[in-house]
Amino acid sequence: MNAFRALSLACVLLLIASGVNAAGVTLPAHERVELANGTVLLLIEKHDVPLIGLEAVVRGGAVSDPDGLGGMASLLAELMQHGAGRRDAAAFAGAIAAVGGKLSVLAGLEGIYVSADFMARDAELMIELVADLLQRPLLAADQLEKLRARSINLIKAAKGSDPGELLPAYGNAFLFGDHPYGNPVGGSESTLANISHEKLRQYYEEQVGGDRLIISVSGNFNTVAMKARLEKAFAGWRPATMPLPAPTAADKQTGRRVLLIDKPGATQSYFWLGNIGVAADYAKRAELSLANTVFGGRFTSMLNTEMRVKAGLTYGARSTLQQPSQPGAVVISSFTETGTTVEAIDLALKVLGRLRDAGIKEDAVNSARNYIMGQFPPRLETARQLAAQFAMLEQYGLDVAYINDYGAALSAATSESIAAAIGEIYPAPENLSFVVIGDAGLIRENISRYGPVTEMSIKEPRFR
Amino acid sequence: MSLFSELRRRNVLKVALLYAVASLLILWIVDHAVSSGVLPVWASEFMLLLLAIGFPVALIFAWVYEITPQGLKKGVDVDQTQSIVYKTGQKLNAAVAVLAVLGVAALVGERLLPEFELIRPEPVEEIPLRPVYSAPEAAGVPKEITSYTMSNGLRIIVWPDHDIPNVVMYNFVRAGSRNEYPGITGLSHFFEHMMFNGTSKLEPGEFDRVMEAAGGANNAYTSNDLTVYQNWFPRSALKTILELEADRLQNLAIDTDLFESERNVVYSERRLRIDDDNEGRLYEQMMATAFLAHPYQFPVIGWPSDIENWTKEDLESYFKTYYAPNNCTMIFSGAVSPEEIFLLAEQYFAPIPRQQPPPPVRTVEPEQAGERRFVIESEAQTPLLHLAFHAGRASDPETRHMELLLHILVGDKSSRLHRLLVEEEQVALSVGGLQMEGFDPGLVYFYLTLPPGADIDAVETRVLEELRRVAAEGVTRPELAKARSIVLADFWREIATINGKASALGNYEVFTGSYENLFALPEDVNAVTAAQIKAVAAKVFQRKNATVGALRSPADAPGAAR
Repeated sequence: MNAFRALSLACVLLLIASGVNAAGVTLPAHERVELANGTVLLLIEKHDVPLIGLEAVVRGGAVSDPDGLGGMASLLAELMQHGAGRRDAAAFAGAIAAVGGKLSVLAGLEGIYVSADFMARDAELMIELVADLLQRPLLAADQLEKLRARSINLIKAAKGSDPGELLPAYGNAFLFGDHPYGNPVGGSESTLANISHEKLRQYYEEQVGGDRLIISVSGNFNTVAMKARLEKAFAGWRPATMPLPAPTAADKQTGRRVLLIDKPGATQSYFWLGNIGVAADYAKRAELSLANTVFGGRFTSMLNTEMRVKAGLTYGARSTLQQPSQPGAVVISSFTETGTTVEAIDLALKVLGRLRDAGIKEDAVNSARNYIMGQFPPRLETARQLAAQFAMLEQYGLDVAYINDYGAALSAATSESIAAAIGEIYPAPENLSFVVIGDAGLIRENISRYGPVTEMSIKEPRFR
Repeated sequence: MSLFSELRRRNVLKVALLYAVASLLILWIVDHAVSSGVLPVWASEFMLLLLAIGFPVALIFAWVYEITPQGLKKGVDVDQTQSIVYKTGQKLNAAVAVLAVLGVAALVGERLLPEFELIRPEPVEEIPLRPVYSAPEAAGVPKEITSYTMSNGLRIIVWPDHDIPNVVMYNFVRAGSRNEYPGITGLSHFFEHMMFNGTSKLEPGEFDRVMEAAGGANNAYTSNDLTVYQNWFPRSALKTILELEADRLQNLAIDTDLFESERNVVYSERRLRIDDDNEGRLYEQMMATAFLAHPYQFPVIGWPSDIENWTKEDLESYFKTYYAPNNCTMIFSGAVSPEEIFLLAEQYFAPIPRQQPPPPVRTVEPEQAGERRFVIESEAQTPLLHLAFHAGRASDPETRHMELLLHILVGDKSSRLHRLLVEEEQVALSVGGLQMEGFDPGLVYFYLTLPPGADIDAVETRVLEELRRVAAEGVTRPELAKARSIVLADFWREIATINGKASALGNYEVFTGSYENLFALPEDVNAVTAAQIKAVAAKVFQRKNATVGALRSPADAPGAAR
């Protein structure tokens, strides 16, 4: 073909390609290695800045806390950093800080998560520290005492400064009850007090090990060399001695019930309205994102528009979904001045009803679609973010298509497919757990209209 | 042969006639082009001159040469028996006829057709030369960063980065609580809210709807020194974002109902951050106590009575002064080129007129004469202790020294105060610190959360002891190396994202006078000496320079019955 035609074809292809790119994000290439002991390695090179991000996941987390010992995984996570290998607590912290590194270990609902962020030149040190804290934590008794006391006191501090922070703990405990998902991840003042040194050591043996481990690394390294280092550091780690807990799906709640937590003198009420929603593997991911973005996932959401922008009742209202391996909570949360507590809750219920009855119109779907795609690339901009994303996919058994096909799935969603998803995800206003922290003396009577009320004081050392 | 018949034979007369008619037509066209602005004014006379010069040339040419089947040749060279002057003459006749008809048609048309102007002639203005965009001068600054100050004073800096198809835009407005006074405290922050609430072209709420529908998200924050507007969006939304920004800078509408409802939202925010939050309450009292004279004493969110009493007029005059382009610095980072940003900026922001610069903040906080202390008694499970010391401004060299010192004292688990007070002695649940880095001298600020029933005075003594120790003995070599590593690694983390790039560039530009100073960070940090750190500790951590505040429940008062 002649030059002109070749040029035209090239232009057309380029246009198509740019169109496709604009409609999605593609994960960079990665290498996956499974070691003999069950540890999974994920390696993603990225060379724009001289940094390395690491995310290690030990499956388990709060759902594996022994009965009555809520906060075990959380306390262990904290303790693992306070002395490991040949370094005591001070030396361990000193080694990280000396190179300007960052390292945190936190427990979540279904895992213990190690996040590390180091200069590329300190990769070897980073691996050594992570390997030590996972495989050779000192778990010193005096450190345990200190950390336990601190954790308990930090819960007390939150009760004074930002009670809204504690809503998820109260809410999940109320909604899930005895189900493992009802266990507050950080524990409560009373359960933390019950964790003995012996029990903690036992838990470490039983619930932490190489068969539970995912290590995801991204950044300025050479894959072959990094793989060799990681294999050397982790291939020999023993497995956990007990099987991984496998929670079953909890039943959705029917009807309404209310938990009122009294904080005398509170000038604001903080509320949490929830029921059981969907799990990490919920197939209609695009529909879910679109629905939640429109309903309560961005500034111009239905909830925020009604409650903040139009009514001026609050600084912010949102809806969130917890999506663990079994269905988690779907929640509307906000806060308002004590005097307008019921007005705000009623408004939230009204908006929920509207969502379920009328669904989402085409223009809102398009707006949400653009918003989600426009806001997506920065979530995978850094090595640390990439490492965490790959770790999450591995933990929940999801394929890279989960990310790579996201754009196309968003384009394919329609008002109808979203309406179907809404029915599956969001509860009807008649089926909700209501959790409210506020001045009970002033709001108790009005709150009782929502359903049978259980009352407790914020001073009580438990969440349920 | 007579001269006249020879002239005729060589077609000179015909050429003359043709030339004359053609000239008339050409001049007619040029005149119209000039009066319509297509050609410059001097074109008419120029063309007349050309044609006048050309006339005798054409005649001589016609006399000497004639057209043959082989092309132009001198008449003397042509075989007169082969000459085709007759045919040429006929062609010339035809040409003259055609041009004459055109000429008549033009004249008639001019009379009969309605007058219309192709292009309205613009008032004669100087055509601006293409602006000169500034590239960085200092070594070590990425060459792709480009800056430009528009004629209305708006300053724009662009850092291209094509890793992701996204753009970040920050607008740093030099309006903060330091620009306020009693009666209008909290106004800068309130403005931050009102900037999203409608213009003469957009209904309230439309700004966010339009932006989010285009794939963008936004936020803003107000500090003692600045109000900063932040936009995060895909490249495809660039024009939309600029249109929205230009619109709200020019056409902000302050609707009365919205004003009232937003006042309530701010009140709700105040309740959340201060009234219901022990940390927030203590901080507000600390600032008001540490600063007796300077406007840093005002809470950014405003005193309650001021929140209740702001008027529309307060807002309007504030907007005019502080939201002028000469008071703004815009930063763009991400998938853009400097040229396209600057051209678009000319289009969207150039019409916004410059204003008188805002009045400078004149008050200088007098040197503190003696220690200040207070206690708030309030329901609190965990007592709080805050200590603040007067220190420098962002652009002071000692601020960098103090920054390193703070990384040694607080910030991570191996830091002195955390290790001693939290880990070893267990007299605090947590300890943190920061320094204000603003336009005017600020504070170095320590904040501690204590366990229930703590002896607050004893902890205070302990903290002051450690601060005195570092002032007297300085820091160790490993500590200094650590502080340098932390600052350097944090620098890379910040510029790893386009958001961090925009934030860093803007802060350096606004507070130090040039964004280029950001890139001197590695060198600056390595140049700080232990002696300098010791000196700044000795200067700042003096008791008479301290403000100490505590918040505790009545039950935790010393000597209270338990």
